[in-house]
Amino acid sequence: MKRFSWDEMMNRYPAFFAILLLVVALIINFILQPNMFARDTLNSNMRVFLPMILLAAGQAVVILGGGIDISVGGIVSIVNTILATQVGLNGSPEKMWTYVLVSIGAGILAGAINGFFIAFLRLQPIITTYATSFLYVGFALFILPNPGGGIPAEIANIYRNTTPLGLPLAFYVIAVILLIWMYIRSTRFGNYLYAVGGNAEAAYETAVPVTWVIFTTYVASGFMAALAGVAITMLSGSGNAEIGVPMTLTSITAVVIGGTALSGGVGGVAGPVVGAITLGIIQNIISFSRIDTWWETFVKATIIVVALAAPGIINLLRRKKV
Amino acid sequence: MQRKPLFTILALIMVISMVLAACGTPATPTTEVQPTQPPQTGQQPTQPPVESKGPPFTIGISNPFISSEYRTQMIAELIEVNKEYMDKGLTTELVIESADTDVAGQIQQLQNLMAKGVDAILVNPSDVNGLNATLQEAVSKGIIVISVDQELNVPGVYNVGIDQKEWAKTSAKWLAEKLGGKGNIVLIEGFPGHPANVARMEGVDEVLSQYPDIKVLAKDTGKWDEATGQQVMSNFLAAYPNLDGYWTQDGMAIGALQAVIAANPAKFPVGVGEGRCQFLKLWEQVLKDRPDFETIAVANPPGVSPTGLRIAVNMLLGKQVDKSKLGGANGLSFVIPVPIVITKDNLQEGLDICKDKPDAYLLDGIMTDQEVLDTFFLK
Repeated sequence: MKRFSWDEMMNRYPAFFAILLLVVALIINFILQPNMFARDTLNSNMRVFLPMILLAAGQAVVILGGGIDISVGGIVSIVNTILATQVGLNGSPEKMWTYVLVSIGAGILAGAINGFFIAFLRLQPIITTYATSFLYVGFALFILPNPGGGIPAEIANIYRNTTPLGLPLAFYVIAVILLIWMYIRSTRFGNYLYAVGGNAEAAYETAVPVTWVIFTTYVASGFMAALAGVAITMLSGSGNAEIGVPMTLTSITAVVIGGTALSGGVGGVAGPVVGAITLGIIQNIISFSRIDTWWETFVKATIIVVALAAPGIINLLRRKKV
Repeated sequence: MQRKPLFTILALIMVISMVLAACGTPATPTTEVQPTQPPQTGQQPTQPPVESKGPPFTIGISNPFISSEYRTQMIAELIEVNKEYMDKGLTTELVIESADTDVAGQIQQLQNLMAKGVDAILVNPSDVNGLNATLQEAVSKGIIVISVDQELNVPGVYNVGIDQKEWAKTSAKWLAEKLGGKGNIVLIEGFPGHPANVARMEGVDEVLSQYPDIKVLAKDTGKWDEATGQQVMSNFLAAYPNLDGYWTQDGMAIGALQAVIAANPAKFPVGVGEGRCQFLKLWEQVLKDRPDFETIAVANPPGVSPTGLRIAVNMLLGKQVDKSKLGGANGLSFVIPVPIVITKDNLQEGLDICKDKPDAYLLDGIMTDQEVLDTFFLK
């Protein structure tokens, strides 16, 4: 009976393990850093995690649809450089919000370019987005060759210090993401997405508009990457064309830790959101556990590998017991 | 509705954290950073003065890039110099946040240091502006913040480092003069936009503008990486076989020289080297075949960080900085002199230093506690 419920939990709720992992990570972090739930600490952590949460949510949609988006970091960079160059350190709030809209448009466009190549021209997602990632980072470098520029500090502080009802802004954003995702999941598109990700051919034969579904996932990813770009720009307050580059692989890691399989069709968006938070918490744990400096990278990588492998290991052990 | 439990769990977590957030006392009173009125140095606005707290002090280090000898040597020296103060009971073990990370990651590093309640932060910034708000937050908490190695323009944040621009001008001037003021050269730069690289390239441009007959054929980035530097230099040599000279900087100079050796042109271009033992040894070898080979190594000392540590400790002890000795945009920069420049004339001196050092060792200099006091503090 017990075995049945574990398997069932794992199969039916791909985010189950991600949440388990997060809870464990939170407990460890809390032991090492007793003030971590203090309002300030919580907010300062969440504002750093939020860009990755947004990015991972978009990445999850693409991966669910059977693809992968390696260009998300490039899109983050484009958005960051647009805001940093066009708004400027002394820009007005109106200017800021105008260019936020412009850069979200740019993100959607970048996603649409990916989607066009992959869905309509049937190119390999991994190669296509790898190539476009250079296109996007290159474009960002063209906009802003040297780091600099920025957005007004007052606007950055809205992002940094807004805590409605004493809760970090990120919590509300997460709630909105999850609500929207719940809604999408219940629509026809939601079903199509899982069908395409699970088996595109079979989906095609059952009259699912595969091309459009795939196209849409990349547009969604571009949109979320643009939001992540806005978030990280407001976090750092400055421009740097390389800012998004290291974020790409982390977003994929967050998706996988979140129980969404790279093969597509399995998982959801909630898990990757949780995964992104877990990755951030892991960094905190490393930081507060006073591990010897030279071992930090190794230990962090080990934890991530174990976290990635844990569901598989548990299943393997359970099978052996029988 | 098969998804329901999942959201119940999520909601539960949110509720729990909500409760915890409400119960937990804020680590510090919510201090809004006011960027329009930056806190002036010396008079930290919000928290009670640091002076009220006696030793031992805790000093935090934030380093976002570990894949270079410079950073490795820097961290090792910081630990070593801190031991000196620990033995005197002035400091505790350093709190080191050091890992390859991005801007968001370094913000997290700094926030964690603040959460750990350090008294001073030495930060080697990954971005010219990206850390500004976070660093100001630290300053407003009464933490002494020192940017080492790269100069930042943040009110209240001190800088300790060599003058990167002057540093680059030394070798650029030497190159221009060795070429007799004319010839075709290429430039290999570090990370474009990295504060130190920007300052250095400004210095190079400034020098070269005085030599109109020196033509820069091309410029590319070697990303402060030996292998990339070698690749870039190979490409340049293939494209311009009659190159007269090249300017590059640390990390990439060995790669560049190795590319020259591999290409083996009739006449070796005059190149800029780096103050690393491995380079000096390579230089010595090249001289055996080509005694007229010319290069220069200007030390870029990782020792500025431990020197910064000494400055931080003395400031925490309440000693007064002699403001007239500081430079920079905000008048908050401690400029450390370059400890050593190696040319053909004193190559042996450099090789002697390297005798018992690993190949990766960078020619260095750490100011002593007394030197720091004499140079930067009021008597």
